Amino acid sequence: MRELVNAFFDERSAAQHHISSYNDFVDNWIQSVVDNISVGDDEVPDGIIQTDVEGYKIKMGSIRVGRPQRKEADGSTDYLTPMEARLRDMTYDAPIFMEFIPVLEGIEHEPEEVNIGNLPIMVGSSRCNIEKDNLEELQNASYTHEEYYQELQRLQEDPLDPGGYFIANGSERVLVSLEDLAPNKVMVEFKKRYGRQVEVAKVFSQRNGYRALISVEKKRDGSLMVDVPNASNQIPLIVFMRALGLQTDEELVKAIVTHPDMMPTVLANIEDAREEHDVADRDEAIEFLGRKLAGGQAREYRRQRAESLMDRTLLPHLGHDPAERLKKAVYLGRMARSVLELAQGRNEEDDKDHYANKRIKLAGNLMEDLFRVSFTQLAKDIKYQIERAHSRNRELKVSTAVRSDVLSQRLLHALSTGNWVGGRSGVSQLLDRTAALAAYSHVRRVVSPLARSQPHFEARDLHPTQWGRLCPNETPEGPNCGLVKNMALTTEVSEGAEGEDIRHSLYDLGVEPLEVSEVTGGDDE
Amino acid sequence: MRNVASTPKKIGDIQFGLLGPQEIRSMSATKIITADTYDDDGFPIEMGLMDPRLGVIEPGLRCKTCGNTVGDCPGHFGHIDLAMPVIHVGYNWMIRNILRSTCRNCGRMLATDSEIEDYHATMEEWRTQNRDVWELIKKTIKKETRGKSGHECVHCGEIQKKVEFDKPSTYREEGHKLTPVDIREWLERVRPEEAELLGLNPDVAKPEWMVLTVMPVPPVTMRPSITLESGERSEDDLTHKLVDVLRINQRLQENRDAGAPQLIVEDLWELLQYHITTCIDNESSGIPPARHRSGRPLKTLSQRLKGKEGRFRQNLSGKRVNFSARTVISPDPNISINDVGVPEASALELTVPLNVTPYNIDVAREFVKNGPKEHPGANYVVRPDGRRLKVTELNAENLALRLEPGYTIERHLVDGDIVLFNRQPSLHRMSIMAHEVRVMPAKTFRINLSVCPPYNADFDGDEMNLHVLQSEEARAEAKILMRVQEHILSPRFGGPIVGGIHDEVSGGFVLTHKHKHYAKKEALDILSRARFQSELPEPDKVEDGTEYFTGKQIFSLLLPSDLNLKYRSEICPHKDCDPWDPETGEGCEFDGYVVVEDGELVAGTIDEKSIGAFQGEFINRIIRRHGASFTREFIDRMTRLVLGAIMHDGFSTAIDDEDIPAQAQQQIDDNVQEARDNVEDLIRQFEEGELEQMPGRGLEETLELKIMQELGEARDQAGKIAGEHLGMENPSVIMARSGARGSMLNLSQMAGVVGQQAVRGERITRGYEDRTLSHFERGDLGADAKGFVESSYKDGLSPTEFFFHSMGGREGLVDTAVRTARSGYMQRRLINALEDLRVEYDGTVRNTVGTVIQFMYGEDGIDPTKSHRGKPVNVTQIVSDVVGETAEDEPVEQVDEDAYDSQDAELMRSLQDEMDIQNPDDFEGAE
Repeated sequence: MRELVNAFFDERSAAQHHISSYNDFVDNWIQSVVDNISVGDDEVPDGIIQTDVEGYKIKMGSIRVGRPQRKEADGSTDYLTPMEARLRDMTYDAPIFMEFIPVLEGIEHEPEEVNIGNLPIMVGSSRCNIEKDNLEELQNASYTHEEYYQELQRLQEDPLDPGGYFIANGSERVLVSLEDLAPNKVMVEFKKRYGRQVEVAKVFSQRNGYRALISVEKKRDGSLMVDVPNASNQIPLIVFMRALGLQTDEELVKAIVTHPDMMPTVLANIEDAREEHDVADRDEAIEFLGRKLAGGQAREYRRQRAESLMDRTLLPHLGHDPAERLKKAVYLGRMARSVLELAQGRNEEDDKDHYANKRIKLAGNLMEDLFRVSFTQLAKDIKYQIERAHSRNRELKVSTAVRSDVLSQRLLHALSTGNWVGGRSGVSQLLDRTAALAAYSHVRRVVSPLARSQPHFEARDLHPTQWGRLCPNETPEGPNCGLVKNMALTTEVSEGAEGEDIRHSLYDLGVEPLEVSEVTGGDDE
Repeated sequence: MRNVASTPKKIGDIQFGLLGPQEIRSMSATKIITADTYDDDGFPIEMGLMDPRLGVIEPGLRCKTCGNTVGDCPGHFGHIDLAMPVIHVGYNWMIRNILRSTCRNCGRMLATDSEIEDYHATMEEWRTQNRDVWELIKKTIKKETRGKSGHECVHCGEIQKKVEFDKPSTYREEGHKLTPVDIREWLERVRPEEAELLGLNPDVAKPEWMVLTVMPVPPVTMRPSITLESGERSEDDLTHKLVDVLRINQRLQENRDAGAPQLIVEDLWELLQYHITTCIDNESSGIPPARHRSGRPLKTLSQRLKGKEGRFRQNLSGKRVNFSARTVISPDPNISINDVGVPEASALELTVPLNVTPYNIDVAREFVKNGPKEHPGANYVVRPDGRRLKVTELNAENLALRLEPGYTIERHLVDGDIVLFNRQPSLHRMSIMAHEVRVMPAKTFRINLSVCPPYNADFDGDEMNLHVLQSEEARAEAKILMRVQEHILSPRFGGPIVGGIHDEVSGGFVLTHKHKHYAKKEALDILSRARFQSELPEPDKVEDGTEYFTGKQIFSLLLPSDLNLKYRSEICPHKDCDPWDPETGEGCEFDGYVVVEDGELVAGTIDEKSIGAFQGEFINRIIRRHGASFTREFIDRMTRLVLGAIMHDGFSTAIDDEDIPAQAQQQIDDNVQEARDNVEDLIRQFEEGELEQMPGRGLEETLELKIMQELGEARDQAGKIAGEHLGMENPSVIMARSGARGSMLNLSQMAGVVGQQAVRGERITRGYEDRTLSHFERGDLGADAKGFVESSYKDGLSPTEFFFHSMGGREGLVDTAVRTARSGYMQRRLINALEDLRVEYDGTVRNTVGTVIQFMYGEDGIDPTKSHRGKPVNVTQIVSDVVGETAEDEPVEQVDEDAYDSQDAELMRSLQDEMDIQNPDDFEGAE
């Protein structure tokens, strides 16, 4: 057993999960964030900054991250080591270079590579100067493990240091992993309401950082209501599905019902939609939505609001194009089906503490979210600067419009205060260096976002699915008991994969795609 | 000025009123005009917000009257003349009610004259009856307030309009806005007598004063500026707000005087209203909170007072105090329960004031002569004129000579001084008790072990607080009322709460169990620890020339001669054996029947029930007969004796104390296997539908219940088997049976079978689909799959057993953590509700107003401390005393704290969940 564990750690650091996640971020995700940004007033395609200047827009190119360097007072630059950053209260960060392609009247000009700011680098990551491959490259040598240890010692770095943390103004900061409910997964539960219990299906739909909680609730009188963010009241399910494109009664029933016992409820809902709300087809449904959202406004505006709700706010993980509405309708149907199954006792509540229903947000994920927001700010600032330069009749050069401070400051501020985008605080913590074990334990910590002040008995219990993944015994006494967990010895965190990639792989392997209509007419999966 | 003792005064009356513009102006030290704070050189500006005569913050002296910073200058108010009147947010409710219940024209109440007379009469009546007049006022307001418009004023005929109210400060009369000026004029028209009916005492609170014409400016001391390390000065939130008010006020004035358009003036006026409102209460609903540059909302006046960190709770109900100390505690059996061991370092710093008189001047001189570094010395000498002189090594001699009566010295804390000693959380009155100081070397506070239970202290790092009483009255009160010995009996259940714990109980057992003999030298040795002074009795036996005494004899030497007891101790599990007779060896094999005749322990073993902290029959009996001081002596002596006994032979335990013979182990294994088979059987029955449902329970429930029962019995059986092979020579068994520490359950888990783990009362259920862990098959309902641990702790647990055990253990930790918070909140609410109730001399329980809460305390007039575990009278004892024969006390129903805990925890949890009770303090701002 011991040999196994030792072999495991020969290749991996105690903080490997953080390092791998961060590497993914820097090597891959950062580019996709940039590619999906869109800045401008109206509907702007992804990857473009649309300015108010006539015909002038900027297209995003490739982004790359350098290695941490320091700039001395006399101008000389040299590679920065973590120890020097710690001792001199510096930030261990590297410059970010990005290609901007100005597009004038549709013609692309020469791409400009600009330094847009500094990205804090994780110690031990693919951009860290003391990482084995990087060190070998820097010193034009090749090391065995022992030689690597010695070389680190020569550089006054601790060979047994786990890494996986950042250095901001000289202080070592850990981005503690967050444990959260899995997004884009339908989960059913009972909702307690001072008396009765109603059944509800919830989905945390997430896309590019935008997260929306969509729920389908079966109320006491049997009506099925959909709850969507930014719509203050609930909307009858059938109406919504009609608005999304499933118009005939047959289609609706086929999308929801799998068991005859469900029929009465569904039919009652359909009838309601027809009688009470006067909705019998798609247009009437859309108008209904419009009235609910912005009653009293112009007709055009109402319709716009309704469509925006359907495309952008509802189930964003399925896309924000009108073409995907049918898919969303079917999905809503599935949600309704789950609710009915629960209501009929044909299914049990989803166990929110079952680890299969949980995902861990690692350093890379957190940095991605932070970077996305900060970069959007920067892009907006660029737009503003360009517009200003234009109104003063100055040359429009991207490099002058980029203020590197904007991005760097935001990243650094979040990292050093622990206040992250999305309102959470305590995300970044000062690395616990009380003893060697303390540091190892700190980087392997997993925190639940649930409130410390509430009892949350079930969330605090040790759940069997934690076997082999989270330590059954290491948890703090007191208000955090059971909410703060620590990874087990040989735990690995698997990566998430984009739905697209999996789909492509499946198609490559010979799976045939179905049309939506076939789905609504066919059986359940 | 400090430390001048003033004669105690009693507060006569407190009158709440409103501040009118005249008063504000008269109490103001200066008029405030500029919004600038400091000028270029860093000095405060005249007529600005910071110190022209408003107060001092820097040690730069000067102020209007007072020099000094030192809190001597309390700060002085200023005032701002408002360009236009503004409504005071805090009085909104009042203003609204008055507007709604009075006429818009003549200002009289909208009630008929006769009604008004009635109101006056009722008010008089209520006042004499001492009833809460506010109730009447609220009722009046409710009645007289009109909702709709259209009513006619009875006094002048004017038709009233509907008065509506936009939070936070706009009033509309049927759509038309009412300006503060209008409102003020309306309020001026209200008659004083009628104002009284609506809740304002016209002598001190004229209604129109609720609209501000002059704004009082809080003194500089209330809103000090801070100098950051960068050298900049950062202003207090309030100062920022006042700057805003001042600026807008200036602009408003300028604009109005310059004849600006109506709209602009109105806008500025509204803005002024906003700033002033926000300055008073930044959390008013309906308006955006004023924010600091960084985005965080400002903390203004009402926030300073509210909530857990607000003025009331944080600085008034409880404060930080001088003459206090806090350190780690450590045990010391050699000091009295009344004592507390104080580190020398603390004693040099904590002082007691001594007023020098002709009678103590010599003593005082000695103190001062020793100087501040040598104990017992003094740190300060205070002259009658108030000047404090620091005592140093150089001037000590000198000062000592110059001492005269009339001086006061601050001398070091010395042995015998009375201090208050406390451990948090302070849940009952025994959490703070008075102790006598004993100065000792080393850095910890020392307490006698027996005083741990009332404080709920253990020595795993606990810290405790000490407060040095400064006045003679305080010392006297504490010494008489609060000393530990006065609290030996608990007011909760009428029994002792101070008593032997752990080793003291083991010691008692070892000393007095059956036939323990000690040679004369040994006996004297042990007795010397109890400072025994008298003669030894006749020895029990003599062998080879040495006299031998029994442990019982030795123990008896400490007992008062009028003590007579007969009861069964915990050691004997049976209910009916006779006292053990040393000669014949008959009777209870455990020697568990305690018999004391006239102060002689004739039979029985001393254990927890006899000298322990929560039962302590001996302590109980002695304190009622002989009083607090005697009992204190007894406890001090007895614990020292008993510890001496255990140290005599030594006492230790190791894992081999839990060894049981192989044959016993085999028995246990067989037993468990049989239980497992039964469980399998039950499962089979369940699956094949043969299982008989229990009445009122479902099929699955029945199965689970039966399985739990079966497995529980297996564990208990194992425990019994193990117990048979573990005898009284086994130290672990001694501790368990005597009640010192641990229980037979602990032992049976170590030696026999750990048993079924449970979460929320059930076997382990949660986990993967249809099974707990992936190690088991789906649908496995067997013992192992659901958390039964067959191994003993000695055997060691298998991986799955270990995991299930962790699951059960986790629930316990969570429970404790959650329970502490919840119970704390409950305690606070109970205390706040009960704190001003008092038992009056007529036996009734009344509150401050005089309302009777109970006609007799507790409905029975019994002081629980003096009751006998809840019963007012111990009949058996009275009979025994009268008749002369000791009768056996009835077995007392002991409160099984543990059983309550788990049941109660469950019940409390479900109740609180349903009622959704949370502590509001726990809610931070939105996360």
